[in-house]
Amino acid sequence: MIRRNIDVAVIGGGPAGLAAAIECKKQGIDKVMIIERDDSLGGILQQCIHDGFGLHRFGKRLSGSEYADNFIAELKEYKIEVESKTIVIDITKDKVIYAMNEEEGMMEITCGAIILAMGCRERSRSQVFIWGTRPSGVLTAGTVQRYINIEGYVPGKKAVILGSGDIGLIMARRMTLEGIEVEGVYELMDSPGGLTRNIAQCLKDYDIPMHLSTTVVKTHGNKKLEGVTVAKVDENRKPIPGSERYIECDLLVLAVGLIPENELSSKIQIEIDSRTKGPVVDEHFMTSMDGVFAAGNVVTVFDLVDYVSITGEIAGRGAAAYVKGELDSSLPFTELVPGENVSFVVPQHVRAGNLDESLQLYFRVRAKKEKVKVNVTGETAEYHSKRHRVVLPPEMIVEDMKNTNISGEEKIIVSVSEV
Amino acid sequence: MSGEKKVKGIKKGAVEKSLDCALKNPSYKIEISISEDRIVTLEGLVDTWQEVVNAGHAVAKVKGVRNVVNNMRSKDYTPTIEDNSEQIAEVLRSGNTERCDVVIVGGGVSGCAIARVLGKYELDVMLLEKNSDIASESTKANNGNIHPGVRATPGSLKAELNLKGNAMYTKLAEDLDFTLKRPGSLGVFYNKNQWRMFKLLKVLRDTGIGKHIKPLSQIMKVPGLKWLSAEEVNKLEPNLRGEPVGGFLMTTMGLVEPFEVCQAFAENAADNGVTFKLNTKVLDIIKENNIVTKVVTDHSVIECKTVINAAGVYADNIAEMVDDKFYTIHPRKGSIAIFDKNRKGFFNTPAGAMGQADHTNNTKGGGASITPEGNMLWGPTAKEIPNKEDKSVEPGDIEYIMHLGAGVTDEIKRNEIITYFAGVRAPDYKEDFIVEPSRHVEGFIHVAGIQSPGLASAPAIAEMVEGFVKEQYVDLNEKKDYNPKRVGIPKFRELSHAEQDELIKKNPKYGNIICRCEMITEGEIVDAIHSSVPATTLDAVKRRTRAGMGRCQSGFCGPKVVELLSRELGVPMEEVTLKGADSKILLNNNRELGGHHD
Repeated sequence: MIRRNIDVAVIGGGPAGLAAAIECKKQGIDKVMIIERDDSLGGILQQCIHDGFGLHRFGKRLSGSEYADNFIAELKEYKIEVESKTIVIDITKDKVIYAMNEEEGMMEITCGAIILAMGCRERSRSQVFIWGTRPSGVLTAGTVQRYINIEGYVPGKKAVILGSGDIGLIMARRMTLEGIEVEGVYELMDSPGGLTRNIAQCLKDYDIPMHLSTTVVKTHGNKKLEGVTVAKVDENRKPIPGSERYIECDLLVLAVGLIPENELSSKIQIEIDSRTKGPVVDEHFMTSMDGVFAAGNVVTVFDLVDYVSITGEIAGRGAAAYVKGELDSSLPFTELVPGENVSFVVPQHVRAGNLDESLQLYFRVRAKKEKVKVNVTGETAEYHSKRHRVVLPPEMIVEDMKNTNISGEEKIIVSVSEV
Repeated sequence: MSGEKKVKGIKKGAVEKSLDCALKNPSYKIEISISEDRIVTLEGLVDTWQEVVNAGHAVAKVKGVRNVVNNMRSKDYTPTIEDNSEQIAEVLRSGNTERCDVVIVGGGVSGCAIARVLGKYELDVMLLEKNSDIASESTKANNGNIHPGVRATPGSLKAELNLKGNAMYTKLAEDLDFTLKRPGSLGVFYNKNQWRMFKLLKVLRDTGIGKHIKPLSQIMKVPGLKWLSAEEVNKLEPNLRGEPVGGFLMTTMGLVEPFEVCQAFAENAADNGVTFKLNTKVLDIIKENNIVTKVVTDHSVIECKTVINAAGVYADNIAEMVDDKFYTIHPRKGSIAIFDKNRKGFFNTPAGAMGQADHTNNTKGGGASITPEGNMLWGPTAKEIPNKEDKSVEPGDIEYIMHLGAGVTDEIKRNEIITYFAGVRAPDYKEDFIVEPSRHVEGFIHVAGIQSPGLASAPAIAEMVEGFVKEQYVDLNEKKDYNPKRVGIPKFRELSHAEQDELIKKNPKYGNIICRCEMITEGEIVDAIHSSVPATTLDAVKRRTRAGMGRCQSGFCGPKVVELLSRELGVPMEEVTLKGADSKILLNNNRELGGHHD
């Protein structure tokens, strides 16, 4: 078995991992390695051929793969080592990684620090409790996207999409362009799950109807999907008897949410936040395990890739500082607690003494509200406040907190209230 | 309703009375006929399917009744009648003929276990399976319990074969290289009085008195029963809800993956020369002078001397082809839920709370079990259904499954379920196994009514069938090169890192993880595709290797497995199916030149 020593190993070569590795190198770390299970870098961005990426970071609309290419080019400049077609299958608390590929077999890699950047995965049909049979033709949106954009195959003639998150919306347009008839997009909630711009560009422009408060309750057909039953739901999201409608279709596309992928994190018992389904992280995006950091959608599912990159950079800086022995992990934590209309806050806790002059907070609201004010308050002071015209649950709110002089606070509360 | 009062010891009046009790509707007109060999046939129309089933069960309990052919219909279900006559005529005309000694109909665990034992002899054996893979029906939707055999009715064939089969599994697991765990099965008591009552059993067992009490005679025969104090129960299962007052462990309870067992039987059979014909449906069986001569399938006519009917839920249809349908299989659907592996270790044994389970059905089923991989597996439910093809899961099923588990824990929530599915059990109305040569047709062997504990009993059923075959073929010789052992596909996930390294060096395909949730490698999948009973569909690969069984349910690995199937089988991606004909995954290639589709 090959044995190696690395300063910082980054698990995953998607947007979070790329940004993290580059930042690490920029901070002067010598041996940085990206371990990527696919044969190319970029992660899920490689199958995102639609535009809209990088508006914040690059100020222009890029496709997913173009966005990734910018980072990959920089990575090459910095001569960062990449182990591709290599998968991490085990990780230990003393920061040893077991990774393997076809050529080298199993490698035992002892690391100074580890950055988890494995991304997220899609929820499946069972997790949203669709009843009926289990025929072919029921696929997640990401799988359909891969079939169409990467493999070059069309998986059906007439599709029903469940879920109005961004992936569902983008696939509605993509499938229409491929000649698949998209019967409609169905959304369990009473408001759309995706970004406003995607509703306009992917549905309205193609006359694809969206049915809110409606869900797919049953699949029909023993072998190939023959149709689905949809039903309206009440305020408790339970199907309303008598509202069922049968739709003939051979493809049901599920865009029913993403979950951070934390198989590896659980191997070393990293503390997971039940709200984000990702690791609890601090100001440097370090997890509960000393020297193990997390970045991007492993932490929480972001709506924009720009934020994924930023968290990658934060974790990259953190890991570099950790390796150099610059992080003081003995300092006390201040908890960041979700308050009124806030479902979670990332990071979950910070060490006041480790903070720079600004701290970025990522959070989502529970309900759509107009004319609101974000407040970040502690026991002794208000640290930040900002007005928003409108806040929507699908959109991540990012607040740049300039006053980070929070030492002495046990917890500070992030709330969004109407003004 | 006149005629003789008693036919072969069955009182017609008793049959009528049982029907009246079961149906409670004097306006129904049910025709009863009793045959020379004590088979009662029922005809008539009632309102609901449940009434049809109730009638069948009631009549089966009448003294002297050997079995029930229940041809009753209900107003709430219209069966579709299949007419294969044209297809049969076409196959007969085609002149496409094959020859063998023994045809086994059905590639479930019974059929495959039988194939394995017959592989020992100088016999040409063919196993016919209508689906694209073995273990595609009841076997795949089984909870994998190798039951200790306490619950079978004393004196039944089930009771005998369950005990025997359970004991046979230890050696089989060794010989055939499949996973068998014997964690035992825990019965927990929460009620002191019930627990005290139950402990009487111990006295009856220890003194040997129990053997003479008929209802207890089966439980007295089960080996390895252990009585546990409350502390011992808590030590064994610290996550049980509430405060158990005591319990007992049936130490012989085993856990397997049913499809792995079936695959092991099948591959060993194939290695020893048994021919597996997948995607092959039996349309008719031809007999001459009441001797079986030919099986007509949708591909060919197979001349043979013996037909073994192991067709599960379709066993009565197959029996009808030789005019020896003396039982009716009434499909009973069972839904199962599998929970995320991150709860591995929450329970160490299949556990059930005693004295509160709903025993409303005729099957063992329903409980909080675990798989050998460590997933929690709850269920199955039990619901009588009119349609043998109905494998849909209904909303009430998950509620019921959660209720089953609630007996032992209230911590596990329904959002931890990663998948659920349904299968159909194949009981007859006597609710016992039927393993016997036909009394009327030479060369026809019934293996019917096989439901729980069918998996546990499969090896014993096969041994029994082996006996019948040996009676038919006198001077039967064993093959000189018969190999009772089979080596399974390596389970990469279970190896140490050093062993994994070694395996990759030997076969680099084991260095490529395809299913990241379950850690299944390309090597395992390729090996399954080229198995002696090949896996040729996405579902077959899943059952053989676990690729796609994890929490993402094949979202990531699905396209990769399709690619591997296409590459290894040498077929275009569009031809790859989920589960055989009519279940293609991809429609067409959108990059082909002129790839315009409408």
